[in-house]
Amino acid sequence: MNAIRWKKFFASPKWVTVVWVLGLILVWEIGATVVAGVKRTPENVLPHLYQIIGSVFSSQKANSTQTAIQIVLSNAWITLMRAGIGFALGAMAGFMLALLMSLFSAVEKMIFPYLMMIQMIPILGMAPIVLAITRDIDKSRIVIAAILTFYPVATNTLSGFKAVEREKRELMFSLAASRYDVYRKLLIPSSLPYLFTGLKIAAPMAITASILVDTLQGGGGLGCMMSQSLKHAMTIYVFWQIVFLSAIIGILSYQLMAWLEKLVSPYRRSGGDFPATDAKEPTP
Amino acid sequence: MQFARKLPKTDTGVDDGIEIRIENLSVRFPDKNSRATVDALTGINLDIRRGEFISLVGPSGCGKTTLLRTIADLQAPSEGTVTVRGRTPREMRLQKKFGIVFQSPVLYDWRTARRNVCMPMELMGLPRKQRTRTVSEMLDLVNLLGSGHKYPHQMSGGMQQRVGIARALATQPEILLMDEPFSALDEFTKEKLNEELLSIWSIAKKTVVFVTHNIAESVFLSDRVVVLSPHPGRVSAVVEIDLPRPRHLAVRDTPAFGALVSRVRNSFEGV
Repeated sequence: MNAIRWKKFFASPKWVTVVWVLGLILVWEIGATVVAGVKRTPENVLPHLYQIIGSVFSSQKANSTQTAIQIVLSNAWITLMRAGIGFALGAMAGFMLALLMSLFSAVEKMIFPYLMMIQMIPILGMAPIVLAITRDIDKSRIVIAAILTFYPVATNTLSGFKAVEREKRELMFSLAASRYDVYRKLLIPSSLPYLFTGLKIAAPMAITASILVDTLQGGGGLGCMMSQSLKHAMTIYVFWQIVFLSAIIGILSYQLMAWLEKLVSPYRRSGGDFPATDAKEPTP
Repeated sequence: MQFARKLPKTDTGVDDGIEIRIENLSVRFPDKNSRATVDALTGINLDIRRGEFISLVGPSGCGKTTLLRTIADLQAPSEGTVTVRGRTPREMRLQKKFGIVFQSPVLYDWRTARRNVCMPMELMGLPRKQRTRTVSEMLDLVNLLGSGHKYPHQMSGGMQQRVGIARALATQPEILLMDEPFSALDEFTKEKLNEELLSIWSIAKKTVVFVTHNIAESVFLSDRVVVLSPHPGRVSAVVEIDLPRPRHLAVRDTPAFGALVSRVRNSFEGV
């Protein structure tokens, strides 16, 4: 009985995960030991994992009032709020633009190339420009999170509109449906999976961008604390706690979008696959 | 017509019992590989009577689907005219007089069977009470009353196609246009749905234009079978099917049925 259970365990994908995690921990620990041997600062820049975990529960003050984890969590809230507002604004703008591009092909031809250009500008290059325009670091953080969200949402939603099968459009046409009804009853519901693909890509990006822009100027936020910690103005454990926390937040933000998708599309909830639509070309 | 069906007839000739009149219809498509055009249909003349079950049968490329699409205003004629009750197909479409069943069920994945059937009536702005009642009637007609809560992916191909038929009938259309609706189904399901379709037709009393490449299916269902031949698409024969109604699957084993199938098969030209 026990042997069978072990066999199952080794055959399962869980086993692969366990090997990966153990391997990563091993590499980390070797790295930490090597770096500790050559350190020139009082603290090890690459601490051992147990030290990082220990620092989370440590009651030692990292600045005058707060412990490391208190600093991290309070700043995480600031960053999350900015990323969240930016994400929501960007997602709405992206969806509206996809609608416009789908309604008027002229808009698509005019705007689409510039969308790609905006996407290609590095965040760190864009940040000072946005800051110069908004004259407010808080606003510019939100704007940049919005810009990064905007592109994947707009392009994915647009391809969702375009992916609707010809026969489904023809059914609406044969029922003399108005343009408004075609969008409300057909195009928008059927593009939802695409919209959520865009949101799932954008959510972790908005958070990463928000953290990156934090590093440019003071005013709180995870990125701000990260750079202070790296410059030894604060214990190095703040940096490492933020690294792990932002990874967790990124994954959670993705999961939140996946959960929202399930919530609004009950037809997928039962887990059944979509029936493969007939690939047969109708005879002319 | 061999079966008993009272057609309204007047002496004025305004209503001559003709539902769809196709006169000298040609449809040309631009060729993908050259500047020339391809004749999908040439010189089609056909009158379809009111309440008639007519099949368009032929091999791939004979233009049977194009002919159906032209009637449905999904395809514009290059020459000639199609008139439906004296009106253009466009006028009829705008009045929602066509019920269309496609080759694939074309159901909306995010709607249950009930809500799929309901969708055309939502477009028409019918009151909720009437919609609910009609949905139940239509689902009952296709024997799916107990499956109204199911999503398309929870239903078999045959069930999905039946929902498609119920949806097409929900708007109370004058004409039911069916484009190879059962061609993706297995033989057993197809035969069952053939028989079901005939009983629906005898209740709903619609004119049905049914496209298929299955000769036996067309003979079993139809009052008349229109045989189309390809290159260029043209009518090569119209075969009257005088088998008695109501028909059941057993009719397929009779010599008369076999003879009609042979007649249709021998009517193809240049295949």
